[in-house]
Amino acid sequence: MAQARPATLARDLATRAPPPPVPREATAAALLAALAASLPFLLGWLSIAANRLVSPRPVSLPLHGGTGLGAACFVLGCLGVALLARRRSLLPWAEVTAGLALLALLATLGLGAGAALDGGARLARAAPGAGFWLAALSLLLSAGCCAAGRDAAREGEAAGATPTRFLAVAVPGIVLLVASGVLDPLSLMREAASRGPELQAALWRHALLAAGALALAGLVAVPLSLLALRRPRLEAALMALANGLQVVPSIALFGLLMAPLAGLAAVWPALRGWGIGGIGAAPAVIGISAYLLLPLAAGLLSGLRQAPADILDAARGQGMGEGAILRHIRLPLGAGAMLGGLRTAAVQAVGLATLAALVGAGGLGAIVFQGIGQLAADLILLGVLPVVGLSLCIDAALAAAQAALAPAGRRG
Amino acid sequence: MIRFDRVTKRYGHRAVVDSVSLEVRKGGLCVLLGESGSGKSTLMRMVNRMVEPDAGRVMLDGTDIANVPPESLRHGIGYVIQSVGLFPHWRVADNIATVPRLLGWDAARVASRVDALLQLVGLPPEDFRARYPHELSGGQAQRIGLARALAADPPVLLMDEPFSALDPGIRRGLQVALRRIHAETAKTILFVTHDVEEALLLADELAVMQDGRLLAHGRPAEVLRRDADPVVKRLFGEATLAFHRLGTLRAANAARPASATQPAEAQLPILPPDSNLKQALMLMLESGTDQVALPGGATLHLSDILAAA
Repeated sequence: MAQARPATLARDLATRAPPPPVPREATAAALLAALAASLPFLLGWLSIAANRLVSPRPVSLPLHGGTGLGAACFVLGCLGVALLARRRSLLPWAEVTAGLALLALLATLGLGAGAALDGGARLARAAPGAGFWLAALSLLLSAGCCAAGRDAAREGEAAGATPTRFLAVAVPGIVLLVASGVLDPLSLMREAASRGPELQAALWRHALLAAGALALAGLVAVPLSLLALRRPRLEAALMALANGLQVVPSIALFGLLMAPLAGLAAVWPALRGWGIGGIGAAPAVIGISAYLLLPLAAGLLSGLRQAPADILDAARGQGMGEGAILRHIRLPLGAGAMLGGLRTAAVQAVGLATLAALVGAGGLGAIVFQGIGQLAADLILLGVLPVVGLSLCIDAALAAAQAALAPAGRRG
Repeated sequence: MIRFDRVTKRYGHRAVVDSVSLEVRKGGLCVLLGESGSGKSTLMRMVNRMVEPDAGRVMLDGTDIANVPPESLRHGIGYVIQSVGLFPHWRVADNIATVPRLLGWDAARVASRVDALLQLVGLPPEDFRARYPHELSGGQAQRIGLARALAADPPVLLMDEPFSALDPGIRRGLQVALRRIHAETAKTILFVTHDVEEALLLADELAVMQDGRLLAHGRPAEVLRRDADPVVKRLFGEATLAFHRLGTLRAANAARPASATQPAEAQLPILPPDSNLKQALMLMLESGTDQVALPGGATLHLSDILAAA
């Protein structure tokens, strides 16, 4: 017996299953996190300009006190991501840690800017340096990789890999940092403070434009998709139209809409009272909704077609009418695909609404174009960052809804 | 009960069902047998208007079904298909309750009906009620499919190759269950299959189709006559036709009654009750005798079998 043991032990070692392979996404997440940790030190945290008009130049971060602590937290966080990403089961935690690292990065930046400006000229402005931006981007990508690796580990459908955990940490954290005033020394926040009400109004306007376009596209796409389900020729026409509209450049489309809408408003002045005219919200909303037709209609039709033929045959054979089949079979089984289309369309709507400013519809695009006109990078960012944030939040919310609405019988 | 009156269905120029007349009596189990593409499924699907005939009419209990709205017609006809088609996002109980709910039954009635049906198809209700279809084996799923078809107690059941996708052992179990359920409920059943053994096991009446035409119709023994249509012979296998025919004949009908002059020999092997001649022949081959005894005391000789066949 005693002699047999080493032999079995050796056999055990030889036959022991190798540890589950680490998904490629996790390796990428770890590399990106390591890169993020080094980037601010290599390319600079902060740049300072004497006033709003001269170009900023990089300055070194005063790494003592709160700033040093923040930087240490940031580096530790990045290391944590790299270490946690080595185990597939720990990937969600790596994603959360990436969010925490981003918050530490931001806090360090705010504290550092405060320290660097302390005693400086009142007009001096501190902006994040290239290292900060690239580190923030690397962390976001790293979190995305974690989410993708986590979804790949789960059998079956990949739910688009939105880093929901990262966002769940980062978004409230950023709100908290902004509210606490840590970021106030940054030029971006000064710009925001001086334009507070304007920014808020633009954000609402932007959301309203996007929602309006989405609603209008839905009003067209939903009935047409339902009709197209039974009429192949209508489907071909609908998809050809939706595809064709994608080819028209958006600014050209807005421009094309201006003339007929202005004409309409001239014929029926009452329309002006409704805000319909050649300039303003009307051409913007109509133009944006034209681009949303394709993702919406494609998502709806593929959702309506999710139910397999044998299930539809069984439903009809039992005497379910087409309405009952739609309610009880097609909608529940296709909800995931439909929400997928809605998700694409909503994100696209938020992005396209930026261009609405070009036809005088306002929104965050107005701030962006103002910034471009003034060559003021902070102002451009002030318009762009809320657009990015809005897109990410909408995408994450709809992804969560998609996961929650997966048909009960199909849930793993 | 179900009467097809010279029904025809064409797809393009091809007649998938070509002027077929057929009557299925009330409470009968009629098996439509044919190779794939023979039109048997199309003919069956005319009964619940899943297919509309181009010519002719289908009568159900004396009513032309063309005058009955498809939905209400289908509520009164159970429908079982090969792929089962359970709704994947509904639990077993909800799947079975489909038609009763469409008919607006109240919840208590639906629940007790679901449990009764699960019992009927041989699945313990407390174990299966709350399962999702993906938690069922193929055989269990088709039993649920059968329960669903019977839910609103329809007088007619249409079954389109319901057991063809199942393993042989599971299939046998379901065939036995169907015979039992047919005996208990006296439904009129139209059963489509391409499986000869299954057809002979289940059929009260057999209808053989080929190229959209009805080749033969009647009790299995009549369909398998010596002078049967060549296509029928080919379908059942020319070499084994006689053997199949033995399977359709009851042993009791060919046996010699017990007589005082010729007392039954005690050591003869005993044939189980309700056996057919095929089983009698198998028993003779097995025990190496040319006589077997029937439970009532009658005896069956090898020559009787030859005479009957």
